[in-house]
Amino acid sequence: MDKSCCGPGYASPTEAIKAPRENLLYTIAIYTGTGIQKPDYLATVDVDPNSPNYSKVIHRLEMPGIGDELHHMGWNACSSCHDDANMARKYLLLPGVRSNNIHIVDTATNPSAPKLHKIISGADIKSKTNLSGPHTVHCLGSEIIVSMLGDAKGEAPGGYLHLNKDFEIVGRWENSMGSIPFSYDFWYQPRHNIMVSSEWAAPNTFMPGFDLEEVGHLKYGRQLHFWDFEKREPIETFYLGEDGLVPLEVKFHHNPDSSHGFCGAALSANVIHWWKDDQGKWNWEKIIDVENEPHPDWPIPIPGVMSAILVSMDDKYLYLNNWLHGDMRQYDISDPHKPVLTGQVWMGGLLGKAPEVNGVKMAGGPQMFQLSLDGKRLYVTTSLFSTWDNQFYPEIRENGGVMVMIDCDPENGGMSINSDFIVNFGNEPNGPSRCHEARYPGGDCTSDIWL
Amino acid sequence: MTHTVKIENRDNSLYEVDAKRSLLESLREQGVDLPYGCKYGGCITCAAKLTSGKVDQRRQVALNNRQLNEGYIILCVARPKTDISLKIGVESHDKLYRNPFLDPLKPHELKADIATSKGEN
Repeated sequence: MDKSCCGPGYASPTEAIKAPRENLLYTIAIYTGTGIQKPDYLATVDVDPNSPNYSKVIHRLEMPGIGDELHHMGWNACSSCHDDANMARKYLLLPGVRSNNIHIVDTATNPSAPKLHKIISGADIKSKTNLSGPHTVHCLGSEIIVSMLGDAKGEAPGGYLHLNKDFEIVGRWENSMGSIPFSYDFWYQPRHNIMVSSEWAAPNTFMPGFDLEEVGHLKYGRQLHFWDFEKREPIETFYLGEDGLVPLEVKFHHNPDSSHGFCGAALSANVIHWWKDDQGKWNWEKIIDVENEPHPDWPIPIPGVMSAILVSMDDKYLYLNNWLHGDMRQYDISDPHKPVLTGQVWMGGLLGKAPEVNGVKMAGGPQMFQLSLDGKRLYVTTSLFSTWDNQFYPEIRENGGVMVMIDCDPENGGMSINSDFIVNFGNEPNGPSRCHEARYPGGDCTSDIWL
Repeated sequence: MTHTVKIENRDNSLYEVDAKRSLLESLREQGVDLPYGCKYGGCITCAAKLTSGKVDQRRQVALNNRQLNEGYIILCVARPKTDISLKIGVESHDKLYRNPFLDPLKPHELKADIATSKGEN
């Protein structure tokens, strides 16, 4: 393909892997729920090992108000419009889960010092779409959809906000929610005309914190939903039962021809795998089951709480976290039916296996992570969500969040904590903040989709 | 009609507030720096502890019955029915957050829509 013709991203996952190394990354950092009356912000972290500022926050873009709870992010454009020379990966969308505001940040004009471009007001979103609780952002060719976890009053099931490329509200993306009870994450694989969505809970359920009893009262999800992507309506639901309590992150293989995908069920601490068989039927199975771990002070063994998963750009490795246990794992999924554990490291967690990393006291456990396109560097942060942090790791108020880098071996498998890198958000100028999701300007392993 | 709000952990400072407006709105207008998030009663970020007096917070959907019994109120939707005393901010959140595995809720302590009445345990 003639590269001079092209828009954002890469012609294929293979091309993406060959991209230049990331020199900086963005992570959101929150003060919401911490007791510090300052806005959440987008932090730029220098990840160029040749820079004097390596492993430091070099810029902070504050949101205009307090209380957003920035959480996940997404690009205005990715490899899904690689053929459109009029598009560019220029804007990062930062939804506020609590405020409902969506901040559009220009990261291209000056990548190390992003600036606010526009705000889509939460009130406007509510009045035009009856939606709240923005979560996952995916670009869709030149347009954007955002999973919204609740209606304007914070009740499930929410739906999908559709934005055009100028960040104007088009309306609801979906034609029907069918009988879907909850929303959370989603990923689409257009060559199979399929989208898969998962289930957390209504904003009014998860925002105030986690009451375990509400799982039994069916206030949290345990299903996956398969959508006819073109018709924009759900066509099939998989009831995962006890194997799939609170299914959160959804990832397809990056290879656009593949039908294989994965979901991490947070409370069951299982990885669910799905694929389309020769008859065109979708199937699912549990492929990873992290056992609960005993703890001397706990009446019941501690569940892993697998809040995130990630597939490397070459589709060879799946990474997962156990936020309460404290470990990050790497599985070889060359045979997606039979994953093989190839790496494991500890950072924080309640089991006490790594209370300090590189001299920094850990509060929280491994939580969100982003992998470099070449599969060699995994950046991991420790905070989940302000209210849930406050329940499970109250010391995070004083200590703040941490970003750790794990060196990964994409050839032979294996992972180890990099001893030269650590970003301690406990030392931020306005006091301890908490970092969560991270993105690279050149694209990353959790955004790009190929048509 | 107005009521007096005393904020105990801000040197017992006193504020006159409108009975028909949310405490968050009235207090912030008078310069009290309060946390908040959703502004509709669903997210708990603005929770404060009521130590005396009464409020109307029928619109809140964030608190479970145990939190309500501990005196927590949601400032973005709560309106004063009498003169009241409050503790604000995270300093008042000592009993707001609990590890749900170590300290389970009893059936009557769940949120109102799923709680049993106390006798039914």
